Amino acid sequence: MKLTRSIYLTAHNATSRLCAQRTLISTLAVAAFLAVWELAPRTGAVDATFTSQPSRVIAAGWDIVTSGGFLNDVSVSLAEFAIGFGLAIAIGVPVGLVLGRFPFLRNLLDPPIMAIYATPHLALLPIIVVWLGIGMQSKIAVAFVGGVIPILVNTTAGVRGLERSWIVAARSFCASSWDVFVKVILPGSLPSITLGIRLGLSRAVLGVVVGEMYQSQAGLGNKVMRYGSEFRTDYLLFYVLLISVFGLAATTAVRVFEEKLWTAGK
Amino acid sequence: MDGWKMKPVVLGIASFAVMLLAWESAVRLGWVNPFFVSQPSAVAATLSRTAKSGELEHNLAVSFGEFAVGYGLSIVVGILAGALAARFRTIEYALDPFLWFLYSAPLIAFYPIFVIWFGLGVPTVIALAFLLSFPQIAASTLNGFQNVNPGLIRAARAFGATERDLLWKVALPASVPMVISGLRLGIGRALMGVVVGELFGATAGLGYSISYYGGLLKTTDLIASLAVIVVLGVLSTQGLSALEARFDSWRVND
Amino acid sequence: MDARPELEPAPHIRVESLTVAYEKPHAAEKLIAVSDANLEIARGTFITIVGPSGCGKSSLLLSIAGLVRPATGCVRVNGKPVSGPGRDRAVVFQDFALMPWRSVIANVRFGLELQRLPGLTAEDLTARAHRYVELVGLKGFEHYHPHQLSGGMRQRVGIARALAVDPEILLLDEPFGSLDAQTRDLMGSELIAIWERNKKTALFVTHSIDEAIFLADQVVVMATNPGRITEIISVDLPRPRSVETMDSKRFIEYRQRIRERLS
Repeated sequence: MKLTRSIYLTAHNATSRLCAQRTLISTLAVAAFLAVWELAPRTGAVDATFTSQPSRVIAAGWDIVTSGGFLNDVSVSLAEFAIGFGLAIAIGVPVGLVLGRFPFLRNLLDPPIMAIYATPHLALLPIIVVWLGIGMQSKIAVAFVGGVIPILVNTTAGVRGLERSWIVAARSFCASSWDVFVKVILPGSLPSITLGIRLGLSRAVLGVVVGEMYQSQAGLGNKVMRYGSEFRTDYLLFYVLLISVFGLAATTAVRVFEEKLWTAGK
Repeated sequence: MDGWKMKPVVLGIASFAVMLLAWESAVRLGWVNPFFVSQPSAVAATLSRTAKSGELEHNLAVSFGEFAVGYGLSIVVGILAGALAARFRTIEYALDPFLWFLYSAPLIAFYPIFVIWFGLGVPTVIALAFLLSFPQIAASTLNGFQNVNPGLIRAARAFGATERDLLWKVALPASVPMVISGLRLGIGRALMGVVVGELFGATAGLGYSISYYGGLLKTTDLIASLAVIVVLGVLSTQGLSALEARFDSWRVND
Repeated sequence: MDARPELEPAPHIRVESLTVAYEKPHAAEKLIAVSDANLEIARGTFITIVGPSGCGKSSLLLSIAGLVRPATGCVRVNGKPVSGPGRDRAVVFQDFALMPWRSVIANVRFGLELQRLPGLTAEDLTARAHRYVELVGLKGFEHYHPHQLSGGMRQRVGIARALAVDPEILLLDEPFGSLDAQTRDLMGSELIAIWERNKKTALFVTHSIDEAIFLADQVVVMATNPGRITEIISVDLPRPRSVETMDSKRFIEYRQRIRERLS
């Protein structure tokens, strides 16, 4: 907030300088954090059982990865996520498009959809487990529920937000309904759809992880709970970080895709 | 289609009434097994029973207390952090990677760590609620300060504003809409933190309630508590949306 | 006895070899907005600055306001160089720049609050603000907020805010640029009427030739690439001016002249 700068000096003029500065300070901050994390237990200020240390986490990680069951856990979690989220997109986008197109349906279904959106989707875990048991199905279901609502809501918003004039213009060129759909509505609402996908993604990941933590037989979340209850902080942290990294990577991937979409549109 | 432009509240209530009716009928007609979905009539009965016995009140109080402390803390810390980051670029850059991590990573996975630190029960739930909502509020506050309309700052400078003036008379009021927006988003996340925290290791509260009855396969009681959570979620979101709308005119729109 | 020649009164504003340059994003050389401008403005005159987009007219105005630092040269007000905004100059902006959370009366009071003149209580400031709200014709709208007002009304608030601090110099940066044609004409006449009452030194930037001639004692014509002053035309039309003035032969001649200059 450099308010005393001359107003016409836009942020651009210092972009390259600021960018480098930003990366430097951010990196230093993270490095400092890691250093404190590693050294504090050594000085006896903190008990390593509670916080572990980067070195220990890495060691635990190595142990985990090279052991047999790891791949199984990863594939279970990934599968639950992929199927659940895939279904969310496959159903959320078309339904969102339909709701955007037909105001009557939208007005009818809006209240329950908004009610579900306002609820923490993880609260539905127990009832879903009652319905589907503790196997993979319940996690897929939670991932689906978590992901589908944002996708649906944002797709609908995307369709509604389209400039009427675009559609009218297309019609004036004798475009058929299908043409209007493919050439105007779909591309026009794509930014909103990708936004919905990005929002839904984190909810889906959360659904899988917490679902596994709650009741499961396998998966990363399952291990998190197990090691947590055994107070093995280093193993626990490795899994936690692994999950976090996955969530971050997936979100970033969608962001990058979104940006590509924007620049392509220009 | 003018008849459909009824007030959303009326439509919402009508919509729910229809669904409740369909739900009840489906069960009575034998289309659906009430073991899985219960019935509105049974749920209503349970709700009134637990309300009378004080069980509902107790759970509500516990959950609400955890929410209030966790969310309240995140408001204070979040706005402070956001304001400091806006004022001091170094702080912004230093906090940036941590906020980004806290914001995007599935934080609930940290639950077992909190259990190790705070034990099972209320403190862990509060910690979770705090951790989930604080990055949102901090980010929105930071955003609000950084996106003050530069035209307003230029005008204030033209009339001789000092930097303190710019902070108190321009930046602060101008950032209010975004801060409130962050508060609204933070509520959902704090609520989730409370519910999930209780799901796992509490002894009271709404989340605990649904987990407990879920374990006993007592669907009706489960749905009763779940309904309360849904209503709370809707009310709080709508409430803050209304607040947001009231301050919407503070956004510069030319 | 020798008659001492009357010394000409020193100009109120003097612009000396002013050059304003902005750094371009991702580029080495700077963008020269104003190149070597020289200008003398007498006290109490109404000056308009006209030119195409990019000719630097806003930059020139903002340099005088003290909001933009020149690369070379300087601006002097009453002989003293300008180093920043000051109490002697007030600005009216094209985008109105009103605080959306403040009412009309609070917005008008804004500049006064910032000045912190000793001996004035809050009531004094509010009373003063009321006078100016009335002056610009917004009596009754004191407690409205900007989003409830039309564009023309908002700009009136901007003008009232600037006048309320009682500056020596009024600087207006395309103040009517966001308004529709009819409102513009109306606001122009009203502005002149208000100006006639206290005859402050005024600088008015516009891209409308007619507006420039109609309002001004002198028109400063600028060109682009690089931004520079090309001509200063004295407008010799009697005041008060009216719609009919715009049809007069003289007016048409001025318009012709400026149009040629600009093309």
